[in-house]
Amino acid sequence: MISVTKIFVTFIFISLVAVTSFAQDPFEEQFNFTKKLYEEENYFDAVTEFKRLLFFDESNNYSFECNYLMGLSYKYGGKFSDALLHFSIADIQARTKEEKFDCRIEIIKINILRRTTYKALALIDSLVNNPKYKNKSDEIKYWRGWAYIFSDEWERAATTFSEIQEHQLAVLCDSVDNDLYNPELAKYLSIVPGAGQFYTGEYVSGLISIGWNVLWGYLTINAFIEDRLLDGVLVGSLLWWRFYSGNIQNAEKFAIEKNLKITNSALRYLQNCYNGNKP
Amino acid sequence: MRKLLATLFLIPIIVSPQSTSFDFRSPQNIKLFADNLFCEGDYLRAVEEYQSIQNILRNDTINFKIMFSYSNLGLYQISNNSLQSIPGTSKFKCSADYLYLVNKFREDPKGLRVFHDMPLPPEIVERRQKLINISYFYDAEFNFDKNYILSPFNDEIDRQTVSLLYDLKTDPPYKSPALAGILSTVIPGSGKMYVGEWGDGITSLLLTGLFAFLAYDNFKADHSTRAWIFTGIGAFFYAGNIYGSVAAAQIFNARVDFEFSNGLKLFLDQENYFLPDYDFCN
Repeated sequence: MISVTKIFVTFIFISLVAVTSFAQDPFEEQFNFTKKLYEEENYFDAVTEFKRLLFFDESNNYSFECNYLMGLSYKYGGKFSDALLHFSIADIQARTKEEKFDCRIEIIKINILRRTTYKALALIDSLVNNPKYKNKSDEIKYWRGWAYIFSDEWERAATTFSEIQEHQLAVLCDSVDNDLYNPELAKYLSIVPGAGQFYTGEYVSGLISIGWNVLWGYLTINAFIEDRLLDGVLVGSLLWWRFYSGNIQNAEKFAIEKNLKITNSALRYLQNCYNGNKP
Repeated sequence: MRKLLATLFLIPIIVSPQSTSFDFRSPQNIKLFADNLFCEGDYLRAVEEYQSIQNILRNDTINFKIMFSYSNLGLYQISNNSLQSIPGTSKFKCSADYLYLVNKFREDPKGLRVFHDMPLPPEIVERRQKLINISYFYDAEFNFDKNYILSPFNDEIDRQTVSLLYDLKTDPPYKSPALAGILSTVIPGSGKMYVGEWGDGITSLLLTGLFAFLAYDNFKADHSTRAWIFTGIGAFFYAGNIYGSVAAAQIFNARVDFEFSNGLKLFLDQENYFLPDYDFCN
């Protein structure tokens, strides 16, 4: 017959074993606490706690998660260089190809945001050439489209988005591309003074340009007609030519400025009104 | 039964030997983490961590590191408020006193001079004198003897730099805006050439000369309308050339002042405001 005391002691031991065996690991607890801070968008404190966990986690069990989430925290805080550093560390610490892929995509997104799009495109190319990510080709193309947007290649962006049936983005990029002025065309149109300005919608500037060129042209030609060669050469070379070449440069400048306005307005729309994935 | 109980007792010890006992927020661990943040240069987080254990560990090193971190964050007033937490007997007292003076200097270089007779150990007195002498460079009125300004600087490179700064302060290579204007009035473009803008000067001379010639030539040929157009444009360029020369001289002088202040700041940054090298991270 087992005594009541023995049963009681056994019960206490079993309870203790259960409690201590299933108690949450403090590292896991710290990670969950930190993740909660991150989810609450308390990024400064989240980074502090991620740093704390990384500092004490000698086994590097949380290295990938911490660095990845630190990267995101820094990104949301606008600290792109720090974000890039932590995504790069997370990339090294990644355990699966999916984790590695996520890190690379985040690095690409940071490069898109920093407008180092040539780096983003180089990384995208490396993902495309990697047979491991064959099944991710749509996602890769999606970010390629965004890289083209940020490098002002709207036509290529539209084509890329069309290939993956991203119709909303494809239509937007296409319409931006149609709205853009061609600076080269503006320049060549200005061979006829003022025409480049008219093409970019700068009518007043176009009229002023015509006025200056008519004035100096008239004075130059008139001087030659009256055999006042020196007058004609000086006015023609120093004044008429100066205003004529200024008119060409001016038209090109207008086209570039207008394009900047159009692309900025499109980017503002994407930032504030587009609901899909954004860098 | 006893064997069973002993086995059951050992299970949790085997399962998680360290983890259940690890406390991230023990004062010692906070200190270790804060030291790491401090050495990484993440002063804002380091100071938060140090402050959370400041009253528990009561450590002068921590107090000084808090003061140092605030100073590096540019919060000089708060940094100086930390001075009270460092007792007179502390080995960091000297360093803290000097950091206090550096903070005062960084807030307002002239404000440091009030502390010229504050009792300090000799090695700090010398550093303070260097800062005070440098602070004179920030004054509009500057009439100190060169040897006096150079006296606390023993290092040859420092002496050369301070000597150069002294020369720039006492005899800045300013250009006179009035002279530039007068020169351009007499010979168009010459004011700009005096300021060193040779390209602009020659362009001004040619343009003004060209319009003057065109105006003269057209008046001579009885083309008065054209002559007046050229006279108007010529006068516009002539006036612009005078105004431009005066502005160029003013811009030149502003650049001289900017380069002097920049040089001074660079020197102080390189010397780290004559702060000693602290060996906290090795």
